[in-house]
Amino acid sequence: MAPGLKEIIESLIFVSLEPLSREKIVETLSDYPAAEVEQALQDLIQSTASAERGIAIIQSGGGYVFTTRPEFDPWVRRFLKIDRKSKLSSASLETLSIVAYHQPVTLSEISALRNVDSSYTIKTLLEKKLVKITGRKKSPGNPLIYRTTERFLAYFGLNSLGELPTEEEIAKILGEDRTVEKAPKP
Amino acid sequence: MNDTPLREIETSESYQVRLEVFEGPLDLLLFLIRKKKIDIHNIPIAVITREYLDYLGREEQINLDREAEFVLMAALLIHIKSQLLLPREQPLTEGEDPRRFLVDQLVEFQRIKAACSILKEREEGQLSLWTREVLPPLPEPGEADLVEVSLFELAESFFVLMKRKEAENFRVVRGKNYSLEEKMKEIVAALEKESVLDFLEYFNRQETLEEAIVSFFSLLELIKVRLVMAVQERLFQTIKVWLRRESQARQ
Repeated sequence: MAPGLKEIIESLIFVSLEPLSREKIVETLSDYPAAEVEQALQDLIQSTASAERGIAIIQSGGGYVFTTRPEFDPWVRRFLKIDRKSKLSSASLETLSIVAYHQPVTLSEISALRNVDSSYTIKTLLEKKLVKITGRKKSPGNPLIYRTTERFLAYFGLNSLGELPTEEEIAKILGEDRTVEKAPKP
Repeated sequence: MNDTPLREIETSESYQVRLEVFEGPLDLLLFLIRKKKIDIHNIPIAVITREYLDYLGREEQINLDREAEFVLMAALLIHIKSQLLLPREQPLTEGEDPRRFLVDQLVEFQRIKAACSILKEREEGQLSLWTREVLPPLPEPGEADLVEVSLFELAESFFVLMKRKEAENFRVVRGKNYSLEEKMKEIVAALEKESVLDFLEYFNRQETLEEAIVSFFSLLELIKVRLVMAVQERLFQTIKVWLRRESQARQ
């Protein structure tokens, strides 16, 4: 591997304003063989993961970013004067996962799946930029179509919609529930 | 010593207890199905309806904003039961089970709930990771798409600001008068120093409502005598103020 390649990549990730995609790294370092860049990238991720450092490089939102390590969260929050980050409400989370799994989806489809009027919830999700309107459906009333955003991916640390919880993972959770139900009473 | 009362106030405000409630009818139904250890594909409608109405009557654990939807589901359950009771000339085939629609909904909802619990864990993990927040680069002054602002748009922005100012509960310092002339000088001086002023931001810095109003009049005056130029990058965005070049040259 070319010397310094790992460090070059690290510096690129450092200055990038948004998660730096693999393609962009390869494109920038076009004077190096792509395979070598790839190898250096993997080495870099590994070395930051094992180093005794306050920060690490993670893959999130379709690219690589520097983040603090989770164990230092209390001190970071103290420094930034943030008591706690607000989490999504269960209604928001529900609506968001419906959009994620059923997109492109309309408001009435969401409400039907939840059996609850979801217009307010979708509004707050739009405000948080976790979902976006991508057009209108060619059906009676031409309702708006919703999709999840890049920000949604980054929020959950996903790189693509393909990384959403899979059928198997969901089935496992449902299965666990059932074993609890079947547990014999003492 | 002074800390103690303050902390008490803080905790009384920040501890908001929110009881577990059923957000929607499907939430409650799934809970009952689990509690009664019922097979989701073969729901005894009478049993589940009775339980469901029981919870509805107690009004404790349901989100009361959604009461109409809870009642609607109760009606659906009773409708399904009546369908099951009606005598039929030919027995129903599997696909025609009146419960089918509800079961499909419940199965899908259950999957979504499971996905939610996984996502919730991810959220938890993600929230303890911090990245550097970077502000988007400011557009260069004089970039394309600048529209000169009409008086109405200026006024609208001003009202937005007034509302904000009103909301702030600031103390009025009496006995301070603001003169239009001085304010105009101040704005021009600020413009000479900074070259561009952010309209909303500038007015936000004003200490009192009177001062804000006087600054607004000063700005209108300055526009009238063509000393400054007010532009908006896009409709409803903040308004930026520049010194007119001719006037700069004159000085």
